[in-house]
Amino acid sequence: MSYKVSEEGNVATVHLDGEIDMDVTEKAKEVIFPHIDAGKEVHLNLSNVQYMDSSGISVLIESHQKALEKNTKVIIKEVSKSVLKVIMMAKLEQILNLE
Amino acid sequence: MSELAHTNHTEKKDFLVRSSSLKDVRSFCREVFEKLHIDQSLKDELVLAIAEAAQNIVKHAYKDSPDTEDKMVVQISCKENKLQIGFYDMGTPVDPGKVKHREIDNVKPGGLGTFFIQQIMDAVEFKDGKKPWINHLVLTKQL
Repeated sequence: MSYKVSEEGNVATVHLDGEIDMDVTEKAKEVIFPHIDAGKEVHLNLSNVQYMDSSGISVLIESHQKALEKNTKVIIKEVSKSVLKVIMMAKLEQILNLE
Repeated sequence: MSELAHTNHTEKKDFLVRSSSLKDVRSFCREVFEKLHIDQSLKDELVLAIAEAAQNIVKHAYKDSPDTEDKMVVQISCKENKLQIGFYDMGTPVDPGKVKHREIDNVKPGGLGTFFIQQIMDAVEFKDGKKPWINHLVLTKQL
């Protein structure tokens, strides 16, 4: 997994790239969580993530819940068809902020 | 389904029991399913189910041995349009009665891998592992 982060005002945009599985979840958290902890709105762009397993879904849930605690939000953007299918299988499409 | 799916086909491969092997497990499955001409949508689901089962071995059967040099085996067989995926490992014995996913409406991190496997596959069965194996999991799916 690789990533790219850009910040503008109170919004941090995180582009993840590659496959998100148990092997890279800690790295994904290290990239995403500090921005949430800083109270930023995080735009998580998943257009280049073609595979995500339950560990990756857990990162999305944890990010979402952490953001609620910090009175901010994580918006998942440009989710690929294959990842959306997994999000829907987990019945999270109404829970997570998808755009 | 595919022409090849009507024929008998079996492949197996071993992998070190660690999270960094999961991408290799997925690659192996994709290669086999490519040969079986399984369509992309089903292939994605099957790869997810298999990777989740392999992840469970790393995460649970080897919970206390993260640096193990043990290997797990994944065997994919297709006979008369029935796909059977076997997993063999030498980790802590699995108590099938304790393998449960979380309540799906209780949204929290974790506990989804088994749910995905059950959603995707027709049957999930723990068999007695024959020496040297401790655990033998079999997933089946009618194509």
